[in-house]
Amino acid sequence: MNWQLIARKDFIDTANQRSTRVLLSLVAMATLLAGYIYPLTVSEEAATTTATFSTYAVGWLTTLVPLVGVLLGYASVVSERESGSLLLKLSLPISREDVLVGKYVSRTGLLTATIVGSLAIAGWLVVYPFGTLDLLPFVGFVVLTALFGAIWTGIGMAVSLLVSTKRRALVLGVTVFFLLVIVWDTVVNALALALEGLGITDGELPDPLQFVVGLEPGRLFRRITEGFVDPNATVDGAWYLSEWIALVLFVVWLVGPLGLAYLRFSGVDLS
Amino acid sequence: MNAIDATKVSKQYSSTTALDRVDLTVEEGETFGFLGPNGAGKSTFINILLDFAKPSDGQVEIFGADCQRNGVEARERVGVLPEGYSVIERLTGRQHIEYAIRSKDAHGTNPLDILDRVGIRDAADRKASGYSKGMAQRLVLGMALVGEPDLLLLDEPSTGLDPNGAAEMRQILREENERGATIFFSSHILEQVEAVCDRVGILQNGELVAVDTIEGLRESMGGGTKLVLTLDELHDSMLTEIEGIDGVETVASLGDSTIEVTCTNDAKMDIVVALHEAGIEVMNFKTEEASLEDMFIEYTGSRGR
Repeated sequence: MNWQLIARKDFIDTANQRSTRVLLSLVAMATLLAGYIYPLTVSEEAATTTATFSTYAVGWLTTLVPLVGVLLGYASVVSERESGSLLLKLSLPISREDVLVGKYVSRTGLLTATIVGSLAIAGWLVVYPFGTLDLLPFVGFVVLTALFGAIWTGIGMAVSLLVSTKRRALVLGVTVFFLLVIVWDTVVNALALALEGLGITDGELPDPLQFVVGLEPGRLFRRITEGFVDPNATVDGAWYLSEWIALVLFVVWLVGPLGLAYLRFSGVDLS
Repeated sequence: MNAIDATKVSKQYSSTTALDRVDLTVEEGETFGFLGPNGAGKSTFINILLDFAKPSDGQVEIFGADCQRNGVEARERVGVLPEGYSVIERLTGRQHIEYAIRSKDAHGTNPLDILDRVGIRDAADRKASGYSKGMAQRLVLGMALVGEPDLLLLDEPSTGLDPNGAAEMRQILREENERGATIFFSSHILEQVEAVCDRVGILQNGELVAVDTIEGLRESMGGGTKLVLTLDELHDSMLTEIEGIDGVETVASLGDSTIEVTCTNDAKMDIVVALHEAGIEVMNFKTEEASLEDMFIEYTGSRGR
């Protein structure tokens, strides 16, 4: 297995890119800002805990983390495929799988390190001076956020495996981001309004429909956080809307897109 | 065990056949030249060996390891100079060699020794992205040499090299072969193949039209021979006269009363005798064996059509 060789080189290259630094500092700043502002939004400061902070933080992260994940991942494989250095590496005893695993580990590693580091400081900002530390739920939340980042880096890398030019990868990656993050919310809101306007619902979508719109990774992330981490929030509705099912779907997002893209990539002609 | 074992390898693109049921065995220790004009399918075959491309049918093994299913295992004993690569961004020449060393667990190899051998030691600490094509070829040949591979697989290795560089490349290939490595390389430049190869395969329109030693190829072509004759004088009428002699295939004037005659090997002396009988004085006389180039044109020209 030579994935470590790929990972080490990719980590150094990616970490040294200005674009990576900008993207990662965006995530860090948003997280820190959330940690700074959150205590100000709670009327009784003593009630702020790192556990209740989680749901608030989700709102800050569900747009930014997907964007950063996609942008971290989209060029990973395809840029080397386009230039031809991928062929040079694959001439050595390095497999396509090594390339994928190495790059995935390196790029999710960078995003995870950023998320863990900045959430740790944000947590401290929440706790200091009046809040309380709920350690275990907060650690759980950090893990969830890191997984959320890994899902989107994985989607970005899946895009990178599916196309043969960097330009197409960028277009496809940004399209996926827009559909799942920006357009999705707009459509869901419009749908809810329309159904309410027609007098079919009272503002809440019916459970089966909620399940469908809740398939989007950001909404799963929120539901899992509300169900497992935040003591003030509850998840209700049919059994298939529970946080446990959401967790399963979260894992599907984690392995699904990248797995399917790799299946295709492993059989494609590179030259 | 054979170094390369290809069984009925075909590669079909949507409308064209790049390879058509190629059967090829390269034995351990030999130097095998893979010849053919551009677009004949040489690179496609090598790309299948490297698992850059999947065969539509058939299978290839390197030292018994299936190139598609066990590609990494197959490449562990192979040094490769592929086609269409680019160097790795931000790495120096030395770091490229180190990268190859790590990937092959060939610790103990000194990168500078390798760079010295391929003649770019001076550029060891420069970024390889700034190398010329010829230097990049040398560098990747160096990467291929790492770990004393049992097979060297080179796709058009002399691309970008000047004649001097090409000669150095051939010298390295000879040394590697003497060490015990099997050499398999493709080329459309014939003299290079002729200079180092034990056997050659000629690929034409995706079909392997000949596999033989160079001598064997010569014989299979009826031992075609070229005679260069310098006569005391030369008139146009004499050309037709010579053409009429038994065994003569072509006659061409090279000017200065020198003519070039191609003929079957047995007919050489008959021609000289016949010229003498016809009263034509032969001042000088030399024979040339048909070069690989002649054979190559014979194969790819006449059979390809």
